[in-house]
Amino acid sequence: MAPDPIPTRTLGLWCPDWPVVAARRRGDAPGGEPVAVLERGRVLAASREARDEEVGAGLRRREAEARCPGITIVELDAAADARAFEPVARAVERLTPRLVIDRPGVLAFPTRGPSRYFGGDAGLVAHVLEAVLAEGIDDARAGIADGGFAARLAARRARIVPPGETPAFLAGWPVGALGDETLAGVLGRLGLRTLGAFAALPAPAVLARFGPEGIGAHRLARGEEEHPPALTVPPPDLVEACELDPPAERVDEAAFAAKGLADRLLGSLAERGLACTQVVVEAETEHGEHLARAWRHEGALTPAALTERVRWQLDGWITGGLGERAAAGDRLTGGLTLLRLTPDQVIPARGRQLGFWGGDAAAVDRAAHVFARVQGLLGPEHVVTPVAQGGRTPVERVRWVPWGEPREPGPRRPLQPAWPGAVPGPSPARVLEPPPPAELLDSRGQPVTVSSRGEASAPPAVLRCDALPRRGGEITAWAGPWAQDVRWWDRRGWARRVHWQIVMGEVACLVRVERGQATLDALYD
Amino acid sequence: MARRGAPVVLARERLLSVPGPLGALLPGGALQRGAVATVGGEPGAGVTSLALGLAAAATAAGEWAAAVDLSGTIGGLAAGEAGVDLSRFAVVRGVPNDRWATVVAALLDGVSLVMADVPRGLRVGDARRLVARARERRTVLVMVSSPAHAWPADAGLRLWAEGGAWPGLEPGQGVLAPRALRLRIEGRGTVSSVRTAGDALALTG
Repeated sequence: MAPDPIPTRTLGLWCPDWPVVAARRRGDAPGGEPVAVLERGRVLAASREARDEEVGAGLRRREAEARCPGITIVELDAAADARAFEPVARAVERLTPRLVIDRPGVLAFPTRGPSRYFGGDAGLVAHVLEAVLAEGIDDARAGIADGGFAARLAARRARIVPPGETPAFLAGWPVGALGDETLAGVLGRLGLRTLGAFAALPAPAVLARFGPEGIGAHRLARGEEEHPPALTVPPPDLVEACELDPPAERVDEAAFAAKGLADRLLGSLAERGLACTQVVVEAETEHGEHLARAWRHEGALTPAALTERVRWQLDGWITGGLGERAAAGDRLTGGLTLLRLTPDQVIPARGRQLGFWGGDAAAVDRAAHVFARVQGLLGPEHVVTPVAQGGRTPVERVRWVPWGEPREPGPRRPLQPAWPGAVPGPSPARVLEPPPPAELLDSRGQPVTVSSRGEASAPPAVLRCDALPRRGGEITAWAGPWAQDVRWWDRRGWARRVHWQIVMGEVACLVRVERGQATLDALYD
Repeated sequence: MARRGAPVVLARERLLSVPGPLGALLPGGALQRGAVATVGGEPGAGVTSLALGLAAAATAAGEWAAAVDLSGTIGGLAAGEAGVDLSRFAVVRGVPNDRWATVVAALLDGVSLVMADVPRGLRVGDARRLVARARERRTVLVMVSSPAHAWPADAGLRLWAEGGAWPGLEPGQGVLAPRALRLRIEGRGTVSSVRTAGDALALTG
């Protein structure tokens, strides 16, 4: 495996306590006084004034009110938070087009172009913070590091990590920063309290003990991308689009269409054994305006999560962020006529996503865990699953995909249309690769050859091969020859290849003759 | 009225029913979870097809099957034609002899059926440990034995593939067609402990 390239240098922007900020901006909560935002009865975010009174995340409403009398309690409104964040995203988008929103309050983008344009990382951070401040957000933090995960942590400390120093920067963070409580708990009990200690473990051991999720976290802790880059090329034909006629002018009209798109997109990804972690939402209006925005999600997007994010984005575009603050230029001039969803980052589906097949999810998790463990013991290429693909011979017609990689036929090997010259009949249960040498003889003991017109020199009478029971014997029935020209366009690589189905008593096998040498390719067992 | 305190075990939790004509020949039409079945016969007599037919029982129930393929020769398409759902079937290849027992034991933890070739020089102690592990994890272990390498421990069900004539093919004519396989089956019935044995025919590749 080639060494991984250095992760993309990324800027992370974090607006702390965004639900509180958004509630204040829409007038639901007073500024300068303690405020807490609740989600399902527990505090999700609290203002600075509330935190001074020891009100923190996870408290019940009653506890929060007891600690801080007079606190204003607001219920979480995720859609409104997303709408309020839209002007911020738009302000940053003026500096760079490649913006990715994680959730309202957090966004990131690759710095390569913008950083050079604004005279270095420090200049870029200053420009971003200035743009955000102009939108009336006085508490925003930005950080730069190699890779999205490190950039989001750097934003919390408002630090610019020099290139190449990301692993050292990450080493001091507690394992809880990985955002996986179960994993963090286990690591803590093992005495691994920092990302640095976790990163020092050998990767095969992590894979064997913690499975694919564990190795993803391990990659993050070492300052690499969570998924190897080779696995993240999205298939180009997976774009889902629909035209809206009449044009959608209300959020609910557009969101209804978006729900169908989201279901179709994730369905066709699941058919290929893929899941999506980042999606680009695009829309066009009656007057030809074109809008696009990328959304990222920790782990794979579920249909509900994807629909929610598309809805937030459409809401942001249609209502133009906060109604009274939005400038005229930020509003759409007409209804939406086209919606498009493009998967921007895909990963092999595993664990819970595989449950689409109807098997129970626990069985999938159990199997996936054990396969990963065996891969840790023997190496990834030792656990494989068969995928049918187009081809002529039994060897060609199966692709063995290492466990964990997308189960897809090889390039230029579609199953349909049917391949001419394919060997017919049932498939042999033992395919010998590499095939052992054999001798295919006629009744006079001469090797059977095939002319350029595909005619055999004589009927085959005897097959000898050490891999056969009793080392072969008299042929009682046969079919063939099926001739194929291999690489006929290449003078040096050209070869004529001939297949025979041979039956000796009750043993049937597939024999190939190529360049005068016979081999036993497969046994019908 | 159900007796209070008696544990209720569903048939689905005890048995893994085998689809197709092969199932009709097995006692109870199913494999018993946690039991060992051996499949034997000469090369070319249909041993692999028979073992894959048993593996199909797991994927047909929506569960997972794995094969430890010592020679690395199992035909993926043949597995599909034997009824195995390839999206729930994994093959482990290139297993060194000294890791074999570890790998099989690991797989018994994670899937409903493990199919494995008996390796050269398998120790009785290792085989017995795997029998116990399969019983504990309620996983079916299908051991593919050959005349040279027999399974040295207990098995609840023993099957032999004894070949069968290939239809459809004559000297220089026709195309190989699926054949009927002669089987010999020995095992304890799942309800009583009566031994059943006999010759029978099953359609397989």
